[in-house]
Amino acid sequence: MAKTELSRKTKTEIEDSSSLKGTLASVFLLGFFLIITWAGVYSLFISRF
Amino acid sequence: MHMHKFEKAWLTFGIGSLLVFLTVLGVSAFYLGNQPPSCLATIDPEKVDTTAPFNEPGLKKVEGKDWDYELVYVASAFSYSPAEVEVPYGAKVKIIATTKDVVHGFEVAGSNINMMLEPGYISEHITTFDKTGEYLIVCNEYCGVGHHMMSSKIKVVE
Repeated sequence: MAKTELSRKTKTEIEDSSSLKGTLASVFLLGFFLIITWAGVYSLFISRF
Repeated sequence: MHMHKFEKAWLTFGIGSLLVFLTVLGVSAFYLGNQPPSCLATIDPEKVDTTAPFNEPGLKKVEGKDWDYELVYVASAFSYSPAEVEVPYGAKVKIIATTKDVVHGFEVAGSNINMMLEPGYISEHITTFDKTGEYLIVCNEYCGVGHHMMSSKIKVVE
């Protein structure tokens, strides 16, 4: 006969061990690349008549 | 809502950069007065030759304006009038240009002057020529078989 499992205790594992270090590094790398290229083009615009 | 501190960092960075870029754009437009070259000024393209200032293309000294000279150009297939012009070094010049026929380009190579000339519209650009030399003006909008031969010259002289 089937048993009811009213008192079943299963824990949902929340994965909290994932590191965002790589993501942080790539986001800022892209960010700085955009800022440097933007500033380069802007300074070219400013320096020419 | 829980947010990872790294997420907060890059969101702050991204939104901050956006604000900086938009501020630069706003200052350029509303404080420095930068506007698109063709800004609401129109002309009858059939009557360019008889409409001032296009009836006398070339460099003209003006008084009582924010700029010292007005440089008027008329473009048509496949040339610019005037074909060559001498501008004194350090002069603040308003370039005023239009076209008689089709869409032409107006690019002073190696400078920020780059406009589209559309029939019926007047394109303008104010600049100070603070570097001497010869500057080539080229058409950068394909206008027909002679497009590649369409050019003019600005000489900035002491």
